[in-house]
Amino acid sequence: MSDLINLSLTDQILGLTDRSFSSKEITEAYLSEIKKKKSLNCFISIFEEECKENALIADENIIKNKARPLEGIPIAHKDIFCIKDKKTTCGSKMLSNFVSPYSSEVFTKLDDAGAITLGKTNMDEFAMGSSNETSFYGNVLNPINEKLSPGGSSGGSAAAVRANLCSFATATDTGGSIRQPASFCGVTGIKPTYGRVSRWGMIAFASSLDQAGIIAKNAKDAAIALKYMSGFDQKDSTSLNEEVKDFQKEVDANQDHVIGIPKELIENIKNDQVRDSFNNSISILEKDGAKIEEINLPHIEYSLPAYYVIAPAECSANLARYDGIRFGHRSNSVSSLEDLYVNSRTEGFGKEVKNRIFIGTFCLSAGYYDAFYNKALKIRNLIKNDFDEAFKKVSSIAMPTCSNSSFELGSISDPVEMYEQDIYTIPANLAGLPAISIPSGTANDMPIGLQLIGNYLDEGRILNLANKFQKLTDFHEFK
Amino acid sequence: MKITEQDLKNISLLSKIKIDEETSDSLTKDLESILTMVNKMDELDTSKINPLTHPIENTQTLREDIEKKDIEREKLQELSKEKDSGFYLTPKVIE
Repeated sequence: MSDLINLSLTDQILGLTDRSFSSKEITEAYLSEIKKKKSLNCFISIFEEECKENALIADENIIKNKARPLEGIPIAHKDIFCIKDKKTTCGSKMLSNFVSPYSSEVFTKLDDAGAITLGKTNMDEFAMGSSNETSFYGNVLNPINEKLSPGGSSGGSAAAVRANLCSFATATDTGGSIRQPASFCGVTGIKPTYGRVSRWGMIAFASSLDQAGIIAKNAKDAAIALKYMSGFDQKDSTSLNEEVKDFQKEVDANQDHVIGIPKELIENIKNDQVRDSFNNSISILEKDGAKIEEINLPHIEYSLPAYYVIAPAECSANLARYDGIRFGHRSNSVSSLEDLYVNSRTEGFGKEVKNRIFIGTFCLSAGYYDAFYNKALKIRNLIKNDFDEAFKKVSSIAMPTCSNSSFELGSISDPVEMYEQDIYTIPANLAGLPAISIPSGTANDMPIGLQLIGNYLDEGRILNLANKFQKLTDFHEFK
Repeated sequence: MKITEQDLKNISLLSKIKIDEETSDSLTKDLESILTMVNKMDELDTSKINPLTHPIENTQTLREDIEKKDIEREKLQELSKEKDSGFYLTPKVIE
């Protein structure tokens, strides 16, 4: 049954519908593969018995012609999404005993669509990291080369998809946490428009930037998964009350594309293989009929500094809730209320999370607020305006996902060097735009990604363009 | 940008996280290198630009003011190590 796990989501749905195989078979095949590849450390928890039972229910539904759209499809959730009565750790010691009393909307929607949850994937602590090394549960290994990082923070989800441990996985992206690991593991990852997918029950890092999305084997699969995950949610005050288009139809529709290329940014790419692969990808799309336009994003180089003020500022405010009292780690060595706060937080958070809280606290403190936080928000406005201008003449914007392929675990200790991993992914988060990473070649024998950024609510268009690219190339095939 | 000992004390106090002496040097180095990178923002004159706190212009949606019981109090309080009769317990704050 090992061939079942190699199938795309699209083929799994077909096979289950025409009863070529059962959900029980496919679920058991994944569970056995997860056990075999335990050393990759992709999962923080696995729900073995429960998903076997759910697979039997799914098979019954299929037989009775009551199948829901994702009936019997085994998937994985990043351990940032709360699932009722299940542990949700967010990769942190702080939440190592947190059993959620409610479910995230992302889980509920996919569960209602019939998907089976195999388990929850490993991640950088509170989604803060670009290598998966900040997880309290140890880092994930890149399935293509186990000495290398799978990327972060959704490294568990990306590696699980790449290692054929689930049909697709949910993930989140605050500054590139879906797209960078997708690029490092040679899979497809989409971060939709901010507000497209509910953040209810998704543990907060930086609320104006966090957005849930999908890591899948290809753009077609991502379109299907995203369709059932998106939509307005009254419980999330930033959820968009906008019609969710049928991404599944859009991904295969006949669409014309005008792709904007930020020429200056491309010329400044230091890695020759990344630049050559990017230019090659664009010429493939151009030959296929896409129009290419040079565009100017004059403030994009200020994205990284602005982000590393805004994200830590929001993080320091969001993570203030971990006080040791109501939930989360509570220190045993306590003699005063102040001790309870300080010791619980000092013991519960890891180094990177503390660093970001410190930076955020500093930037928001009296005397620094205007110079740092307010300045960063103004730059955010300039960056958003750059994109608004560009989208007046193009339908999507292309750039690499990362400036390099995966790096050796433990090889980057300078925080700024690690932050620079996100240099091309951060702008879409600051502007709230949808963006997808698709495999587009290799550098140092490891995958690299092409990033396509779309206009607001136009996920369908970048999925369509990504699908076109994947019809013309085989970079996304697992070899 | 320089981070002084006093800055570290202030940050620690405000964030309610201890900074031990062993790590304060490497933390200072990390924070200084991050803030130096961040200082690139000063190259831009933003005096006439409005701050943007949120990427999407969206008005708050309101729901009907009807009582909901999505999560039971008891269930929520199970998450706390120290509680009694519906209250959360902390060390004594008044003598």
